[in-house]
Amino acid sequence: MKPNLLTLRIQRFHPDHDPPQWIETFQVEIRKGMNLLEALLYIQDEQDGTLSFRYSCRGAVCGSCAMRVNGKDVLACRTHVEDLLEEPVLIEPLPLFPVIRDLIVDLSVFFDHYRKIEPYLQGKPVSPHVEYLMEEQKRKEIDPYINCILCGICFGTCPAFEKDSAFLGPAMLAKAYRFLADPRDRRNDEILKPVNTQQGVWGCKTVFNCVKVCPKEVPPTHGIVKMRGRILRYRLVSIVSRLSSLFSHSNSI
Amino acid sequence: MEFLSHDILIIGGGLAGLRAAIEAKKSGRDVAILSKVHPLRSHSVAAQGGINAALGNGPAPSKDTWKNHSFDTIKGSDYLADQDAVEVMCREATERVVEMEHWGTLFSRTEDGKIAQRPFGGAGFPRACYAADRTGHSLLHTLYEQVIGLQIPVYEEWVALSLVVDKGRCAGVLGLHFFNGELIPIQAKAVILATGGYGRTYLRSTNAVINTGRGCFLAYQAGVPLEDMEFVQFHPTSLFGTNILITEGARGEGGYLINAKGERFMERYAPHLMELGPRDIVARGAQTEIDQGRGFEGGYVSLDLRHLGREKILDRLPGIRQIAMDFAGMDPILKPIPIQPAQHYSMGGIPTNVDGETQLPGLLAAGECACVSVHGANRLGGNSLLEALVFGERTGRKAAEQVDKVREIPHNTAFQNHLRGFQIGLEEIFERKTEEPSYLIRDEMKTLMASQVGIFRNEPALLSAKEKIKELKKRFLKIGLKQKDLAFNHEAIQYWDLEGMLHLAEAIVEGALARKESRGSHFRVDFPNRDDEHWLRHTLASKTPEGAKLDYKEVTITSYPPKERTY
Repeated sequence: MKPNLLTLRIQRFHPDHDPPQWIETFQVEIRKGMNLLEALLYIQDEQDGTLSFRYSCRGAVCGSCAMRVNGKDVLACRTHVEDLLEEPVLIEPLPLFPVIRDLIVDLSVFFDHYRKIEPYLQGKPVSPHVEYLMEEQKRKEIDPYINCILCGICFGTCPAFEKDSAFLGPAMLAKAYRFLADPRDRRNDEILKPVNTQQGVWGCKTVFNCVKVCPKEVPPTHGIVKMRGRILRYRLVSIVSRLSSLFSHSNSI
Repeated sequence: MEFLSHDILIIGGGLAGLRAAIEAKKSGRDVAILSKVHPLRSHSVAAQGGINAALGNGPAPSKDTWKNHSFDTIKGSDYLADQDAVEVMCREATERVVEMEHWGTLFSRTEDGKIAQRPFGGAGFPRACYAADRTGHSLLHTLYEQVIGLQIPVYEEWVALSLVVDKGRCAGVLGLHFFNGELIPIQAKAVILATGGYGRTYLRSTNAVINTGRGCFLAYQAGVPLEDMEFVQFHPTSLFGTNILITEGARGEGGYLINAKGERFMERYAPHLMELGPRDIVARGAQTEIDQGRGFEGGYVSLDLRHLGREKILDRLPGIRQIAMDFAGMDPILKPIPIQPAQHYSMGGIPTNVDGETQLPGLLAAGECACVSVHGANRLGGNSLLEALVFGERTGRKAAEQVDKVREIPHNTAFQNHLRGFQIGLEEIFERKTEEPSYLIRDEMKTLMASQVGIFRNEPALLSAKEKIKELKKRFLKIGLKQKDLAFNHEAIQYWDLEGMLHLAEAIVEGALARKESRGSHFRVDFPNRDDEHWLRHTLASKTPEGAKLDYKEVTITSYPPKERTY
């Protein structure tokens, strides 16, 4: 094999094809600095116009081109092909989502979960003319969770989502935490309601897969653990207050 | 015939489109968004450095005002912007930015907890409000969250193929559901184009791959002339090789531009503002250094951030550090970033008034695809996100108003005829036998635009570009489509995108060839000076069978008569 020839084994899917799923091999002559998205675009242009995958920004900010490469879930645009020259590369769609065509998966369940956590700031009253005041330190605390590009990669390696597709998933729990941590949001612990379930923070196996694979260094598990702490604290407070009211009640008899 | 209908249909799910949708929806209308990608994949997400608003949160005693912002924008535009439009934008900037903050955008903060502002090119005050260096990302996600809250429907991964015009009014679009290949007319009382720029007509561009100028072409094809197309912005600092944007904020935070001799070369081009000169001047400076042999081997200069220190880089510029590491394999904390100028923004577009209305009733436009004109011949950094929000809001509001006045709903036959006409055209394309793939023509066009219609232009190069575009258009007409099913038909999408880009490229070339002066981003080596007497006017290019036909219109001047532009 020529050193600058990249072999890509791509999992194809077409419902009318027999069989609907198959592996097709392509070869791409690579340039220095080339990334996997460019290689795929090259194949689409010059070898097979039917090869389907998503793309947009090619700069790792839009979250379109998530896929599985040699068993790892990555953004194609930030995957250097020079790192893939060692062996034939297997490219598959992002796992755990239904495949629509080739590398394009159906993210409906992903965005359904997104909607479930009501992912929009519900602000405390404030004058329409001035911004909320926020300490820079507070912003920095929320910032890692804001960086999520909703690419879906974290769902692909999440054992809780694999076991139960109703599990809200790392990206959505990180999003919920982002609003919980935001001092401008008036919901406070209301935000915890949709996540205080087995399909929410309690379903997480805390194996940190999502933290490891996130291309934007978002730490969902950290947020999940913090939300669990908050919920437990409230439970404790409520038990203590119930006990103490019982106690004061019995005292007064 | 399956048929969809809405009061207001918005084409494009970036910042302008979403902001328009929110405003229209809040007025109680039936609103839908159609986008060829999921809205969060829109190019707005890639904006980095900031959004301008004269909040005046900079250190005392410098009190910024919207009038300062207007003046900087007008001067930055090389006096080609319509000053009434600029004043609207700068006056409403504060309201729009504060609103985004209230909706959840996580802006960086000053010591007293207000929205932080950083210096940007061509601005007299630190005016760019920022969320680290991911401002576009933060704003787009915030707006999409609002869209979710308002339950605005989105036709995701649908393509608008053409505008349906009936009795002199835009009555809707012909949509393509990309996943099943169905052609579905969508009727609307108002259509808003918010499809972004046409950067991908150029070889080296910071733009997303999807920025093919589709909306501009839809309007052009429907008989709306395009304004000031020759004004194409080149950003001075794109990452060498991949041309991914490295924000102006990097210079706003104090970064230096250095040539191979170790000189801060901006001293030669903008001795006062240095690296914070406006983009046209800095881009020409960087390109001149490269062209005159003072660049590094391969053709680049460098952006040095090392003196800012690790902490500031991690705090203010984490995104570009990640980009440099991911895409250039280097850490800007330790090494200067290799950069080169690249196409970045489309100042030209669909002419609108300050409420987004075009000359075609029922058709509105906002954001980069529109030309209000607030950027004139050169856009200032931090003004594009602002334009998208201010005019997105105004356009959504105006569209909602218009809906009430539309009494007559076009008869279904108008849509049926349109669909039939489109299908007949499609059959003809399917029958062509030419084997030439469209990507060859596309790549030739992009190379041509970068080399002959780029930062430095001259008559011989533009004339040869004009001839070449003609040739490419002829070759294009012979292209056939092999895949007949329109579901997941990338070949067909590429075909339509290329058709549009060839026409837009032609309008750019014609405008540039005719404009015998240098103004803002349009620099003619053979006419290096600005010529207000003859050229203080907007170009209008109309689509005719013979090509782009030019006309001109006056620039609106309110309080700022044109002056010499020095920095």
